[in-house]
Amino acid sequence: MHLLLSDCPVNLITVSSINKNQIWNDSMESIKVSVSPAIFSTWFSQTHLSNLSKKEGRYIAKIGCSSSFVKSTIEGRYFGLIQDSLKKILDTECDLIFIVKEHPKKEGVTKTNAPAPLFEQEERLQEEIGVSLSKARIRPGFTFENYAVSSSNQMAWAAAEAVSKNPGTSYNPLFLWGGVGVGKTHLMNAVGHYLIGERVDDKILFCTGEEFTNEIVEGIRKKTTVDFRNKYRKLKTLIIDDIQFIAGKDAVQEEFFHTFNALVAEGGQVILASDRPPHEISKLEERLRSRFEAGLIVDISPPDFELRCAIVQIKTKERGIEIPMDLVQLIAGNINSARKMEGFLIRLSSEAKLKNTEITEELIQSLLGKGIESNDKKIKATPNEVITAVSRYFSLGKRALLGTSRARPVSLPRQILMYLLRTQLNLPLQEVGRLVGGRDHTTVMHAVEKITHLASRDVQTRQDILGIKNSL
Amino acid sequence: MKLQVLQENLSKALVTASRFTSARAQLPVLGNILISGKKAKLLVSATNLETSVSISVGAQIDKEGEITVPARVITDIVSNLPSGSINLSSINEQVKISAQNFESSVSGMNAADFPTIPQSVGKESIILERESFLTALSQVSFAASVDETRPILTGILFIYKKGKLILVATDGFRLSQKEISMKTIQKKQSVILPKTALSELSRLSSEEEKIGFSLRKSDNQVVFGLGGTILASRILEGEFPDFERIIPKDSKIKISLDKEELLRAVKLASVFARDSANVINFTVRKDTVELSAESQSSGSQETKVDAKVVGSIDKKGFKIAFNYRFLEDFLGVVKEDEIQIELSATNAPGIFRDPKDPDYLHLIMPVKIQS
Repeated sequence: MHLLLSDCPVNLITVSSINKNQIWNDSMESIKVSVSPAIFSTWFSQTHLSNLSKKEGRYIAKIGCSSSFVKSTIEGRYFGLIQDSLKKILDTECDLIFIVKEHPKKEGVTKTNAPAPLFEQEERLQEEIGVSLSKARIRPGFTFENYAVSSSNQMAWAAAEAVSKNPGTSYNPLFLWGGVGVGKTHLMNAVGHYLIGERVDDKILFCTGEEFTNEIVEGIRKKTTVDFRNKYRKLKTLIIDDIQFIAGKDAVQEEFFHTFNALVAEGGQVILASDRPPHEISKLEERLRSRFEAGLIVDISPPDFELRCAIVQIKTKERGIEIPMDLVQLIAGNINSARKMEGFLIRLSSEAKLKNTEITEELIQSLLGKGIESNDKKIKATPNEVITAVSRYFSLGKRALLGTSRARPVSLPRQILMYLLRTQLNLPLQEVGRLVGGRDHTTVMHAVEKITHLASRDVQTRQDILGIKNSL
Repeated sequence: MKLQVLQENLSKALVTASRFTSARAQLPVLGNILISGKKAKLLVSATNLETSVSISVGAQIDKEGEITVPARVITDIVSNLPSGSINLSSINEQVKISAQNFESSVSGMNAADFPTIPQSVGKESIILERESFLTALSQVSFAASVDETRPILTGILFIYKKGKLILVATDGFRLSQKEISMKTIQKKQSVILPKTALSELSRLSSEEEKIGFSLRKSDNQVVFGLGGTILASRILEGEFPDFERIIPKDSKIKISLDKEELLRAVKLASVFARDSANVINFTVRKDTVELSAESQSSGSQETKVDAKVVGSIDKKGFKIAFNYRFLEDFLGVVKEDEIQIELSATNAPGIFRDPKDPDYLHLIMPVKIQS
């Protein structure tokens, strides 16, 4: 079969810019010969080839002129000259269109960085904030804007907001406590961020209980405790994460006690975070405990499902990936802590990038099934213990659970059992099948998929899984 | 071409037109003035390819025609002639000028080489009140930059917004903004015009009360019409800096001052400030503003100006420093006796206002004080 020339899909070709400039330069060189130097430099040097395209065997050249005077003169007097020279160079008939347009290159050259402080102040302020943030050792990404609030952390959030609006007066100290990855550090950083945004010059410091300890030890060793005191006691706001680290260290506790008193007396704000409430921190001096208890103590509980969804959305937005709501729920339903979610999303996006695929339900499920929890709290249990836990949780006999009945009250616990064996113990599919009454590996796959899906939508299933996990 | 025209009219038109010729034009015709007689009018036109002017002068035309003549020669001849009627006639590329007891022949050039110049404002023009427009221009244009490395800042931004024409100019250190209410403006549009063309516009003397103004985006050109005088200018291409972003929304301290007193204090301080980077230090206290300047070579001074200060100020006073030239420029355009300064931080721009003219706003970026 013969292809006709007109079958060619592209009949409008735009010539690239290098080529374009070359063509125009060539045609200018030939025009230079035929006009006087004064005419050339006044009129032709003010022009450029703005666009050149080919249509139906003819070129269309758009010629940019620097002003309407140039345009009207060239159009009126030198039209033929330009057309002839372009025709010779391009070897094709050529149509000309004249427009008023500045030479793009010329504009680029003129964009020098002459000083304009009036327009740089915003950037400078941003820069100053950046410098202050790094001085205060506050992590720049943690702000109130990207902190999701739900019933589990609403109280803590409100307290932190109140403190950042009126530092030193509303709640002093503010004591946040809660488990791993519930958002204590984020909230404290957000307060610091807000305070620096309001007053760039304020002295704020964020450190961990361990760093505080190390600095004291260093100070004692190098005999520079005075420097240490100058550094800490002149602060406007002191934020200490993981304060429980100083418990049981007498010299550190004493130093902290005095620092605390000095700061509060000057109207400074103290914000502390710990993994347990003050009265549960053992070996904490009584005077410190009473001081902590004098402020506001707020706990942050682990994020609930809705909050986790919100966190997934915030984090996907930060990474520039878009995930539909049902998939967000799938992730939030299967992963409990914010850090794990972050890790999962990193894996998800890199997986999608490497394989060059869209983020789909299958991809998420395959990653969820691969046991991302392996590095984290791994359930140390034998398969038999899991089977026992499941049968106890659902009050089902082991025989029924591992038996052949396909009635729903039995089959759902069985599927949950398979899900747990697969995702928590990382057993191979066939092994799971063997354990659960000699079932086929495809049955196991179906069960894992079904529960993964169900966990994203059904509160009851989530609670069941959590309950069994806790009992292990 | 053959015509009679009055010396005073022609001389005035030639003087104006010669300002628009390019002095060092490579193309000789651009150093020329185009004289054309058509119907009952004599048109005197000139251009430097950035701006152009075309002035119509009443004349008695015996024979239509046109020719270009060197600007310097014809202007100098006509302005030195006694007032009264002058005869102009062209033969080939020569112009014959004759008046009482005078006869001259000037060699010119063919008018066909002269660029086409807009001769009318066009239909879709906006009518500006001459006086308010020129006042606004004078309040704004001094803030435009003279530095050619940032061509966009040498222009004045015109924004048409619902019922308003807003003029803005800035050189990166200060900014002027003036709003003129214009009922006829509906469509939102903005255009940047070269300051030089606008200052020529304000120099064009005319008895006309109105200025016609039209925008030709396709030609990248604007045209102003004052009676028989048509001025055209190219539009500056590029993006004007986002000025709305930098205008402070609120301020911590508001100061009202007597303009004359402040101007005197600024002038006094400038004696020493001249040697030290033009910096004048301001210290705002409860009811005074202290202006001080010092120079390492010649000495120092301090002036107190009574002021009404609204806002909280601690014992040390609020300190800020400005370039005195910017203050002088601003004080130069304020007509009223009182001015208002709004400040919020040592490194944030100060807002300068004329309390009687709420549509006018001037911003000055302070000089950074080494603390």
